[in-house]
Amino acid sequence: MSTLAEDTQLGEWHAEFEAAAGRSLRTRFRYAFLYTYKPVLDDAQYRSFDTTAAYREWCARNLPSWLGYGPAV
Amino acid sequence: MARRFEYAQAEEIRDVFTRHGVRYLFIGKSGAILLGYPDTTQDADLFVEKTNTNNAATVGALRELGFELTDDQAAEIERGKDFVQLKNGPFDLDLVFAPDGIEEFEQAWRRRVDVEGFPVCHPDDIIRSKEAAGRVKDREALPRLRAFRDYWLERNG
Repeated sequence: MSTLAEDTQLGEWHAEFEAAAGRSLRTRFRYAFLYTYKPVLDDAQYRSFDTTAAYREWCARNLPSWLGYGPAV
Repeated sequence: MARRFEYAQAEEIRDVFTRHGVRYLFIGKSGAILLGYPDTTQDADLFVEKTNTNNAATVGALRELGFELTDDQAAEIERGKDFVQLKNGPFDLDLVFAPDGIEEFEQAWRRRVDVEGFPVCHPDDIIRSKEAAGRVKDREALPRLRAFRDYWLERNG
């Protein structure tokens, strides 16, 4: 059973989805892609990993935790 | 300095990858945005089929797009990597050859959604990959993304 707060949140999200559905793909793109510098992650021109697990491990070890790339506990 | 990813660049990816015969899908938040999900992100994530032929085609397409791959970098992409992060071109691009939560490219390809010519992972696959990745930022994004999936299925299901 959902709470009033959850229902309110869902209603707000649906309003956002409806508004987005009324915009063209080109317009959605214009406002969806932003550039924000991410320390460490953005400091190399090229990185590659043999496995996705190796990439996840590299992120967890090397990136600041506040970027959110580490595992959720 | 990275540049903001723009619609015209997505069109370039679509057109150049198609010309080179690359099999790929938009995945992650950039895929969700193509499907209509209102949110922000920084770069595009592409789920690329990992086969020798497709790897080689991908290198050719990336070079045509303006990514400055050294011969060593090109060779390792051709040999096969699971994840490649590119910031050496006209925009930032992540190539994901083995996303968490999706066993085979072919399965995702069969479920793909075509959005104005852009091949996009089905929202269920985007959610599945974020659930399996289990990062802090994915866990935070999932409730709203699931709500969008339900909304999208009502309209397109």
